[in-house]
Amino acid sequence: MSTNAALFDDEFLKKLDYLNIISKRLFAGQLRAERRTRKRGAGMEFADYRSYVAGDDFRYLDWKAYLRLNKLIMRLFEEEEDLPIYFFVDSSESMEYGNPSKLDYARRVAAALCYIGLANLDRVNVISFADNVKSELPPLRGKGRIFRVFRFLTDIVPGGATNARDSFKTYCTEGRRRGLAVVVSDFLDPAGFEKAMDVLRHFRHDIFVIHIASHEEMNPVLKGELLLVDAENRAAREVTVTPGLLTAYRAEYTRFCEQLEQYCSRYQLGYVRTVTDYPFEELILKVFRQGRFIK
Amino acid sequence: MNFLAMTPLQAALLGAVTAMAVIAMYLLKLRHRRVVVSSSILWTRVLDERHAHSLWERLRKFISILIAVTIALLLALALARPQITWLTGSDEGVVIVLDTSATMATRMSDGRTRWQHAVDEARALLNSGGATTEFRVLDTAGRAAFSPTTNRNEASDMIGQLRPQAGAARFPEVTEQGSTVYFISDGVSISEAPAAVKRISVFEEANNVGITAFDIRSIPSTPLGYEAYLEVQNFGPRSEAVGITLTAGTGQTIAKSVSLASGETLQDVFDLSRFEGGAIRASIVSDDDDMAADDLAFGYLPVKRRTRTLLVTRGNNYLESLLKLDSHVELLKTDPAGYGENPDIDVYIFDRFAPAKAPARPALVIGAPAGATGAAWLREARGVVQKPEITTWAEDHPIMQYVSVHDLSIERAARIDASNLTVIAASNQTPLIVASENPKWVMLTFDLQSSDFPLQLGFPVFVENVLSWFGREQLAVHQAIGTVEVPMKDAQIQTAEGTAVDSQTVAGRTIFEAPEPGLYSATSGDTRIQIAVNLGNKAFSNVNSSVFTDERAAVSAPNWLRRELWFYMLFAAILLISVEWFTYHRRVTL
Repeated sequence: MSTNAALFDDEFLKKLDYLNIISKRLFAGQLRAERRTRKRGAGMEFADYRSYVAGDDFRYLDWKAYLRLNKLIMRLFEEEEDLPIYFFVDSSESMEYGNPSKLDYARRVAAALCYIGLANLDRVNVISFADNVKSELPPLRGKGRIFRVFRFLTDIVPGGATNARDSFKTYCTEGRRRGLAVVVSDFLDPAGFEKAMDVLRHFRHDIFVIHIASHEEMNPVLKGELLLVDAENRAAREVTVTPGLLTAYRAEYTRFCEQLEQYCSRYQLGYVRTVTDYPFEELILKVFRQGRFIK
Repeated sequence: MNFLAMTPLQAALLGAVTAMAVIAMYLLKLRHRRVVVSSSILWTRVLDERHAHSLWERLRKFISILIAVTIALLLALALARPQITWLTGSDEGVVIVLDTSATMATRMSDGRTRWQHAVDEARALLNSGGATTEFRVLDTAGRAAFSPTTNRNEASDMIGQLRPQAGAARFPEVTEQGSTVYFISDGVSISEAPAAVKRISVFEEANNVGITAFDIRSIPSTPLGYEAYLEVQNFGPRSEAVGITLTAGTGQTIAKSVSLASGETLQDVFDLSRFEGGAIRASIVSDDDDMAADDLAFGYLPVKRRTRTLLVTRGNNYLESLLKLDSHVELLKTDPAGYGENPDIDVYIFDRFAPAKAPARPALVIGAPAGATGAAWLREARGVVQKPEITTWAEDHPIMQYVSVHDLSIERAARIDASNLTVIAASNQTPLIVASENPKWVMLTFDLQSSDFPLQLGFPVFVENVLSWFGREQLAVHQAIGTVEVPMKDAQIQTAEGTAVDSQTVAGRTIFEAPEPGLYSATSGDTRIQIAVNLGNKAFSNVNSSVFTDERAAVSAPNWLRRELWFYMLFAAILLISVEWFTYHRRVTL
């Protein structure tokens, strides 16, 4: 616990403040919690007209138009509401890999983005998942809630196999509002990352993918006769690691990353890949520059 | 396959245990180190793809074990010293007997000699031997004193040291039991060999006209007259025109041409009266002659000068008559009272008399002076031996050449002390003929009247030999090519051209090598002997008399491998270890 607590020390908090200032500078002029949604409702901003249908609220009839055109026409306004942001943090066993571990890095990244979201008065949700939803943090709003986020992230215990599809499905079918889904994971899902992401797309969330990798994963330093044990399912396989095999593995890992990136590009999802020794504040700035996290 | 270091069962056990140990160790070695990875998804994809497409991946483990077992078996079985006969030959001994007789120098149709062909055959035999085959090289001259060896190069060097040479040739005694004996010969000088011997013939019919005899002898009817006897024979299959030349060292020449049919012999005598003394060289030339060693012969013509001999006697008809008839002797006679040294005298003969002082010239003393005569240079008679019987005599001494004394009858002889003298003939009781080298004198301990020596055929020859030994030049001693023995101790040997020849003294005789015909001189003190070394032997010149059966097919083909199999196994193991090391560190093998 002490190790996890050290994740969010004073130094970290200073960095969060810095990022908050940066984010405000980058997105100056936008109102807090004023996110125009496609939902038509009781907002102040006129959006469109449509014909009256039975059951519509008479208060939104355009009487002037009726006098001119002799037709009942409804005035539509854009509804203004706060944005739900869902942080899906992968806490499967594979995230424990690396030094620092991918999960630690994911915690920091999620904490930073949560802080910015809270500061923007967005409704922030944090979900820990592995083979299913392991735990979730109820929606929070306001900068003062950041410590609950810290506590939640700190309490995440890595374990279990990855099954993002079932996890997302479970969470999204519980009547969640559409919002921004930030997935922080290594995407090493035996079932494939596509199916999981398809679930989020199906529920029409804006999706931002933060792909966390470790150097040990990308360029493993292995040699000789080995029994490779999968951290998640404990499946073992005898391998003679040769330079040729390592080259093939690196090529396969690169192909895997490219597939993920191409998937995100195809469906216009936000995508950032990072390694665990990359400064997390730099990563956050990179996320900002993509313009998807804060609109 | 058999094994030299252990039984096949032991070798099989060793191999099996080794193989099992290696496999066991290999399996232990294959226990993999456990490494936890975040996910095996990507590894599985890579490995499945590689395993699906690579036959090597499927065979790698098996091949790795196979290599390890092979290395271990190579090392283990190398200790057992395996032998595969068709690969390395058998380990039997091989004895190679080379015919080194003179006819092996005969040239063949390809321009090479029979000897060169024999050497090639011998070296082919070396190549056909096994890796452990022990070779022994012998020759028919009995000179090859080589130890058995398994080193082919050493054996080849031994063969290279041998040369064909004239002289007695006989098949050597082979003591190696169980060895295969090969006899490489033209079958001329030695046609017989033990039945078990495998014969390899290098015979091919050749042309040869050779001098089979050459001698220089005095003409009894002519004082200081000499003639040369020459015998030439055509041993070739067709007639030959032969040019004969006799040449003296002073340049005088006698030449003659004859035609000799196949097998025909020319026996001719050449008068050398007009020749000065010295070396005489006889040579023949024919159009087609494949053997050169018998085309030359040498003799020696003594310098023609009579020996001035002073006979001091009270009267001895035998001796006087003999010396008067000797054409080489200019005889002077006096009685003991009139004796006095004369510088013109070459030799003194004292009959039953001895002067008090030794003469400056050599002397033959007949009859030992009895009692104290004052002749201190001679041995004093210490008694008389009645009817002594000759029991020993030195046949090889120059003064005993052609002299037989075995039936000599002596009435009495003086008993003397022969210490430091050369005993030429002796009875059990006393020396009968003794010689002194310095001063040079010969003494008979009996007088001629008390023996039948003057009546013996050998007596004139004996006197002639004594006078010759005293310094008069004599005809050459004839010897065959090869090792020449001279009956002189520590003699200096020279060729006719004056070149010194290496020699050694063995058992009081000087021995030297004469590889080709020539005239040699042996000098020891005041004594000089001319030695005419000639081939002069029909057996050597008759180069076409072979009845040899060739058994070349008995010679096995050369073997592939020159060393024992363990050497190659060790080499292969080292090679495999290197390959294994290289591939292991690149994870090609396990």
